[in-house]
Amino acid sequence: MKLKRTINQVFAIAKTDFLGIGRNKTAIFFTLIFPLFFLMIIGFTFGTQGTGETGRIQVGTVNLDAKTIYVNGTASQNSTIGDALVQALKDVNFTVYEYDAYGDKDTNGTAAYDISREQIKIAVVMPANFTETLSFQYTDSLGMPIPTKAHFDIYTDPSDPTGSIIAQQSILGFISGFIREYQKIAIDQIPESLQGYAEVLADPITVSTIEADVSGRPLRWIDYMVPGTLGLVLLWSGLNHASVSIASERTKGTFQRMIIAPVSPVTVLAGKVVSCLAIVYLSAAIMLASGILLFQVNLYWNIPAIVLSIFLGALSAIGLGLIISSLAKNEEAANSVAVLISVPLQFFIGAFFPLSIMPQSAQIFGEALPFTKLVNAMQGIMTKNLPFEAIMPEIVYMSISGVILFALGVVAYRLSLKRL
Amino acid sequence: MNFDDIEVNSITKHFEDTVAVDDVSMNVARGELFGLLGPNGAGKSTLTKMLCGMINPTSGTIKVGGFNIQDEPMNVRELLGVVPQDIVLYDYMNARENLAFFGKLYGLSGGKLKNRIEELLKFTQLDEKAVRRHISTYSGGMKRRVNIAAALLHEPQVILLDEPTAGLDPKNKLALWEIIQALHKEGRTIMLTTHMMDEAEELCSQVAIMDRGRIIALGSPHQLIKKVKMENTITVVPDKITLKLIEAVKEISGVKRSYRAYDENEEVEALKIITRRAEDVLPEVVSVISSVGIKILSIELSRVTLEDVFILLTGRSLREEEGQL
Repeated sequence: MKLKRTINQVFAIAKTDFLGIGRNKTAIFFTLIFPLFFLMIIGFTFGTQGTGETGRIQVGTVNLDAKTIYVNGTASQNSTIGDALVQALKDVNFTVYEYDAYGDKDTNGTAAYDISREQIKIAVVMPANFTETLSFQYTDSLGMPIPTKAHFDIYTDPSDPTGSIIAQQSILGFISGFIREYQKIAIDQIPESLQGYAEVLADPITVSTIEADVSGRPLRWIDYMVPGTLGLVLLWSGLNHASVSIASERTKGTFQRMIIAPVSPVTVLAGKVVSCLAIVYLSAAIMLASGILLFQVNLYWNIPAIVLSIFLGALSAIGLGLIISSLAKNEEAANSVAVLISVPLQFFIGAFFPLSIMPQSAQIFGEALPFTKLVNAMQGIMTKNLPFEAIMPEIVYMSISGVILFALGVVAYRLSLKRL
Repeated sequence: MNFDDIEVNSITKHFEDTVAVDDVSMNVARGELFGLLGPNGAGKSTLTKMLCGMINPTSGTIKVGGFNIQDEPMNVRELLGVVPQDIVLYDYMNARENLAFFGKLYGLSGGKLKNRIEELLKFTQLDEKAVRRHISTYSGGMKRRVNIAAALLHEPQVILLDEPTAGLDPKNKLALWEIIQALHKEGRTIMLTTHMMDEAEELCSQVAIMDRGRIIALGSPHQLIKKVKMENTITVVPDKITLKLIEAVKEISGVKRSYRAYDENEEVEALKIITRRAEDVLPEVVSVISSVGIKILSIELSRVTLEDVFILLTGRSLREEEGQL
């Protein structure tokens, strides 16, 4: 009888808390929709890309190869290889803009002008003797070819280091491929007996880059992002909601009214935790459903492992939220502290950006967060179809941190009862 | 046999170096409407919080319905209905949802809860349309009534009302007084904390006046006023004041003094009559003034109030106290 009464009280408190979110548009946005908002922005911007897409890179070419130059004292005007390279850039899907001169940032119609206006990310300047050099037209007095290298200038936009690096790497990769094709043709033109040596000397090391099969399915960025956003769910739906749940009741006076009813403080806490868990799972379901509907994500669904991982991650988030909620002076203060913690943390959990691109200290910090462990576990389960044993380190870590943070939250909650 | 629903024995509460409640003892008999009076900071709220078990006393004991609040808090809470001063409801829920929530906290469920909610919705006098609206759309009076109803769901024997009419307009204040009187008639024990002396005089059969953590007076409003033995003032504004009139009034039995004064509020000359027996003297005064052919424009009797009792006991007025805090 007493148990039934307690269960009724827990669910009444949880339902009331849940309604508080459901009937408040601002709370719905920040608790349930905000992580989705992030997913949509980043997902629509980058998410559908696989590897090797070049269409979004705007390349300016300044092909000086057609200019007349003097080779061995004779005027020459040959742009065969330069033209071939520009065409090849177009063929592999770069967005190519052609210019007559590199120029400067104040001269309209030049490559420099368009870089400064962010019309192009990178400009490749091909020399006037490009074709002549690569076709061995420089000879000595005996008619023997003089080894002469062609030189490219590549200009990038220093105001966008990340975009420039991506464009630069893409162009260097393209040029590397172009050179390999050229080498084959050049080697074909030397005596057959020397072709083998020439081939090794010209290209002593060969490298192939192949994406490992980690999933059994072709994966896009969004396929990694959607499981990663469950870490955001913990921050925005778990931590933020738990942070304000008790503080807002205390500010309104409803917490005091609950405490003076024949309800134990543990029952009130249980109601709040049930509500927080329900919100976390609802938010997670919204994120995963959105991933399927909006981005057609291709994931594996080990439901028990997903549910357990979210629960363990949520324990840490709710525990941290309880500490904030119990110690904060009022709802506003609790909300501010929660935002102050969750906004920076979301960049350290590896949901959007891999921790590997961060400085080492940031990586250590990120790896210590239980939310990062959830991201790792979810990406392992949902994209790589890892067995449960493979994510055991994450599960153990989340269990320990969850128990510690939740216990600290309960201690803070008990202390807050003395401040009524 | 008289049974005390509330027994407070030598209660003291310290907050670090501050003594909020200092050795307070009082009893409230079953069915009594008891007023706890005093300015803000007098210790009323701290005492109320200890009565409902929200905080523990530093020393002393409190029993409600015979249960010691520190030993059997859940039994005490079952008996108590606490109406907080502020509106403590969920403004995103309607009246019915709020009552259902608080009912469940008190262990009500199913048909019993449903019936009790309907009874209390009638008590709140909200129409069905209003019942379905969120609390945030209610007027102050409507919120107050639901706030009280939420404390009555479990039919408590003892009701604590903390400043129930604070911030209400006169019409709603009177309506709420009627509700409190109706609850009293049902036989419930009610303890009302207020800093409005007229409210205590109108409603309470017993009052305790608190100041700086101590009870400085305890008794019925009538007893306290009588104990003070203060004089009443009758202010008469006649169409003219003559020396003969002043002398004639002085001759009335029971009149201590009579003098001419300028009434700053009315901006007229007035005749002030000081007496301890205003009820006996007043008809005589009217008769004497009429007999000398003078017309009475207005007449006012200033009675001794609990406010006067407080001033006499502390040397300060309640309003001065509020202003300082």
